[in-house]
This record gives sequence, structure tokens and C-alpha cells, in this order.
Amino acid sequence: MTITRRDVLLGATATATAALMPLAARAQTSEVVIGLTYPLSGANAQIGVDAQRAFETAVDIINKDFELDLPLAKGEGLPGLGGAKIRLVFADHQGDPQKGRAEAERLITQEKVCAVLGTYQSAVAVTVSQICERYQIPFMSADNSSPSLHRRGLKYYFRASPHDEMFSAAMFDFLDAMKRKGTKIESLALFHEDTIFGTDSSNAQLKLAAERGYKVAADIKYRANSPSLSAEVQQLKAANADVLMPSSYTTDGILLIKTMGELGYKPNSIVAQAAGFSEKAFYDAVGDKVEGVITRGSFSLDLAAKRPMVGKINDMFKAKSGKDLNDNTSREFMTMIIMADAINRAKSTDGEKIRDALAATEMPGEQTIMPWKRVKFDEMGQNNDADPVLLQYVGGKFVTISPAQAAVAEPIWPMK
Amino acid sequence: MTTETIIQSLASGLLMGLLYGLIAVGLALIFGLMDVVNFAHGEFLMIAMYATFFLFAFFAIDPLLSAPLVAAALFVFGALIYLLIVRFAMRAKANAGMVQIFATFGLAIVMRGLAQLLFTPDYRSVTHSWLGGKTVSIAGIFLPEPQLVGALVSIAAFAGLYFFINRTDFGRALEATREDPGAVALVGIDKNRVFALGWGLGAALVGLSGAIMAVFFYIYPDVGASFALIAYVTVALGGFGSVFGAFAGGIVVGLVEATTALVLPPSLKSVGIYAVYLLVVFIRPRGLFGSM
Repeated sequence: MTITRRDVLLGATATATAALMPLAARAQTSEVVIGLTYPLSGANAQIGVDAQRAFETAVDIINKDFELDLPLAKGEGLPGLGGAKIRLVFADHQGDPQKGRAEAERLITQEKVCAVLGTYQSAVAVTVSQICERYQIPFMSADNSSPSLHRRGLKYYFRASPHDEMFSAAMFDFLDAMKRKGTKIESLALFHEDTIFGTDSSNAQLKLAAERGYKVAADIKYRANSPSLSAEVQQLKAANADVLMPSSYTTDGILLIKTMGELGYKPNSIVAQAAGFSEKAFYDAVGDKVEGVITRGSFSLDLAAKRPMVGKINDMFKAKSGKDLNDNTSREFMTMIIMADAINRAKSTDGEKIRDALAATEMPGEQTIMPWKRVKFDEMGQNNDADPVLLQYVGGKFVTISPAQAAVAEPIWPMK
Repeated sequence: MTTETIIQSLASGLLMGLLYGLIAVGLALIFGLMDVVNFAHGEFLMIAMYATFFLFAFFAIDPLLSAPLVAAALFVFGALIYLLIVRFAMRAKANAGMVQIFATFGLAIVMRGLAQLLFTPDYRSVTHSWLGGKTVSIAGIFLPEPQLVGALVSIAAFAGLYFFINRTDFGRALEATREDPGAVALVGIDKNRVFALGWGLGAALVGLSGAIMAVFFYIYPDVGASFALIAYVTVALGGFGSVFGAFAGGIVVGLVEATTALVLPPSLKSVGIYAVYLLVVFIRPRGLFGSM
């Protein structure tokens, strides 16, 4: 038999096709790409770096086999997509809404991500989620807390964690409870930065204060990353309210506490809208000056006593980052699990199918690391069953003091 | 608004203003000497703050003691930056101004990036220091010690600088080079040496302010940005190139910032600074003490 050139070519083509076939088939399902936009440089770069570790911890648990009562922990990858592994692509938005817009577009069109998570700063979430909406790619806020975000009629917007109205309501519930116990709390001083996070937070607090009969002695809006806060602190001091309620990122939080010390201002108590007041860097810098500070949170390590999984996951995260899970990193971790769970149920990387699967999410609280009732999104994409907690910083760590069902200690009031 | 609040505001503004002046003077010095605006000025401040922090963290040296060390280190750093980068940027035949801007602007980005890479973007603080958190209180007016000492150092530095520029040979060489770089070569003054020393001196002054700032401010790779912006306004207000304009400009900026916050919401306090700046640009474009 003679072998013609044609036969050789044919044979080679056939072999090549056979070799490539499984590859091509695998390429469709072997990898699910999720985009993350965070501040990886600029004033809040450390937040982005910590967020990376939190997301990587979640992806480790999904992609490898773990014995945890968390969706997708058992077995490797996403079973709904034939064991496909999740790959993360991080994009740096530098805390700038315009850069966030550009990076979201790049993630979707160049990196072909099937979902986007982010963004820490609420102001950036506004633009990123608009881009996702346009490309019909689901966006989930991991750690944005501005209530206006889910009220823009976006179909592809989701948030599993509480927003600042829920957080603020929890704070006022706590203040009410303290008042019933006979503590004198009449006036409040609001101190908030000038982007959407601070203004939304103070709007929610102003409304609640009016409804529940607290006097707002001062409502001070300051410019984020100011070189000096002495004029602001002076006004707080002049107002001399019973409770100081700051909504500040880490940098301003540190400067606020230092300036308060320098100008001799000491409120009875501080009840903070987390952000900077959840960060290790804040307590490293001024922890000794804020013994007894209270901050809202969506996470509490105290939960580890009831739910051992929380401790295990915290250890995994700590091995990567050198830090305990906090308000931000816990929400980031959980958001990744919820998104992966939806993609798994969608059995597809198609934006619309994932969106529908997200909308149908019903995850009991016990299967999360959060003190939440469950994860179920309303028609605006907000999970209203994410119950916040209040934490008090005592002796170098946080203890849960409110609400009653989650509390492990009595609040110390006034703070030291 | 009580008298006490007003006095407190003015006092805080004055103390901050003296510091702003000290931060800005290096910029004014370098510009006056060779018409180069150092866009990495804020990053020089950042490096000085990190140097202070690391001396504190590893060797437990109080910022007050490390201030001269940091200033000396920054002197060497500034001189090297001139000899290795700016000197070459100034040789550009076409568009020299642009080349200088891009050279120092690029330097700023590189320094910021390197700081983030090497020091991580985490916020650092000098947690315990002799001055940190201490306050002098006179009749209900609080004067934080770090800022108070900073103001005194600033006044001393400006006094020293005045003496240096007017009474020493090098100071005269500096002035002469600034007047006419071509002519000084004829009388045997090495232009490059004078420029390098000018950069060193400018950086050393930023180093001094960085060491003091480290006591009461947080430290991270981008910390220079907001202070650099104020430094540019200060220098432009005081008069580009005028060292003592920077001193006066700093005080004006500090006082205007503090008094604006008394009448306007604090989030608008920088509006006052820029309004005064605009006014100066309209009425006296060369700045308060500018001699161009």
C-alpha cells in the first residue's frame, strides 16, 4: 500500500482534531472567571489586598475538597459545571469611580468574566454596577453599604450583606435598649466623610434620630483624606453630644481619634459605622485610645463558639493574611461563596442564567459564616435577612454586645 | 460661636500653617534655584515619614531624635535624585520644561509604587513617642505638642535658612547661580554642585517636616499627595521661588483653612485656600513675595 501525501495530511488532521476535541470541550467548563474590582493602590490599597486574601480563601474552599457545612466546600470545583474551577481576575480601581467604570468594562470585554464582585467604596460600586447592567453581567456588592445602591432599578445588582439603613437601625435599636436600662442618651453627633458612603450613612442616621427622638447636636461632613481635622473635632467638642457616630474610612478614623486626643475631646461613647473602625490598622494606630468603642458589623468571631466552621475558615484566612476575618473580609468571603453557588445552580456562565439563579438563592444562615437568618434577595437584589451585630472593642478584641440573641457580653458604657 | 472657638481655630490654623510652610519650602527653594517644579515633592515627604517610622519600629528611636537623621538621609537622597535624574532631564534640547515635569512626575509614580511594593499599602503609625497625644492647655485653648514642636522647628528652620542664604558663601553661591547660572561658571562655581546641594537642602527640609508629621499623622504610600497639593498652593501663594514667601504662604494657608471651617461646612474648608489663591493670581500673579 502506498501512502500518498493526501493520506498523511488527512491522518494528521484527524489526529489533531481528535487531540483538540476534548480540549475544546473542556475549555467551556474547566474554568469560571470572576472579576473583582478593588482599590489595590491609593489610600485604601490595604483593603484591596486583604480582600484578595478573603476571595482566595473562598476560592480555595470551592476549588478543593473541604469538610465544611458551606455550599460547594465538599468536592472540587462546581459540580453543576462538571467540576469547573473558579479563576479570579483582580482589577485596581484606585477608589476612583471613573477608573472603576473602565476596569469593569475591561473585565467584561477582555477578560470575559461571568460575574463581577466589589468594590469597597460605594461611590465606585455605582459606576461598576451600571457597566455590568449594560453588559447583562451580574454584579454583587460584597462590602458596599450605601442604601441607595440597590434602589436604582438595576436587574443585575445584588447584595447579600446589610446596608447602612439596616446597620443604623441596629445602632438605634441598641441605643434605645440602653436608654430603657436607664443610660442617659439624648444627643448624637454625626461625623461623616463626603462621598456616597458617608452621606448615605448620615442621611439614614438623621432620619432614625428624628423618628426615635434623639437630638442631633452636630452633623459634620468632612472632606475624606483631609490633612487636618482639628476644625472638625473642635465643632464636635463644642456640640458635646452623648454619643459620637463616625462614618469614616481608616485614614480619617485614625486622624479623628488622634485629633480628639490632642484637643481634649472625649465623648461618652462612640458608635461607628464600621469601615475604618473595623480595620486592624486603625486599632494598631490608636487602639489604646478607643477602649470600649462600639462599631456595627456584619460578622462576629464570637460565632465560632456556636459554629466551629467559622473558626476553621478564620484560621485559613489568617494563614494567608496574618489577620482575623473582620467586617469587610468576612463579607467578601461570603459573597464569593454565594456567587459561586448561583453559578453552580445556573449550570452556565451566561449572565442572564446566573442572574436568575441568584434571584432564586435561598441559603440558610447556618450554611454561612455570618450571624444572618438566611440569604434571599428581594426584587431589588437586597438580602433583607442579613442581621447586623454591634461589636465592642474590649481588651484588644471585639465582643458582640447586640442584638440580645447574638450578644456574649454586656456593653461597657461609657467607654473608658 | 464663642471667642474660645475662634482663638482655638486660629491657634490650630497657625500651628498647621507653620508646618505647611516647612513642607513647602523645599519646593520653593528648588524652583527658585533652577526653575524646576519637583512633582515628587509629596513622595519625598512620604519617604521621610517611612524613614521615621522604621527608625521607630526597628530601633525604637523617637521621631524627635531621628528628625536630624532623617533630614540628613533625605539630603543625600535629594542630591542623588538631582545627580542621577534631574541633571539629565535638564539637558533636554527640545521642550525642556515638559521633560522636567515628566521626569519628576514619573519619579513620583515610581516612588509611590515602590513604597507600596516594599512597605505594603498598610497604614503605619508611630504609636508611642515623647510628644504623641500630649497637649498643652492654656485657658481652654489646646495646643497639641507635636504641632507645637513642629511650629517651633519650622520657625528655627526658616531662621537657619535665612542665615544660611544671606551669610554663608554657599548661600551666596546659591543666590548667584539662581541669578545667572552662566556667569557663575566664569567665576569658578560648579553649577552642578550648587544644584545638587540645593536639591539636598530642599529634600532635607521635607525630611524634617516628615519626621515631625510622623508623630501625629498616619503613614502610607499615598500620604504625600494631599500635602503636596497644599505645598504647591503655598508656594504659588507666597511667590514661586521665594523661600520666605513659602513661610508666609504656609501661615496664610493654615489660617485661611481654619477660619473657613468656622463659617462654612468643614467639607468646604479648602475652598477658602483656593479662593485666596485665585485672588492672589488675579491681583498679584507672581505671588505675595515673588520677584519674577
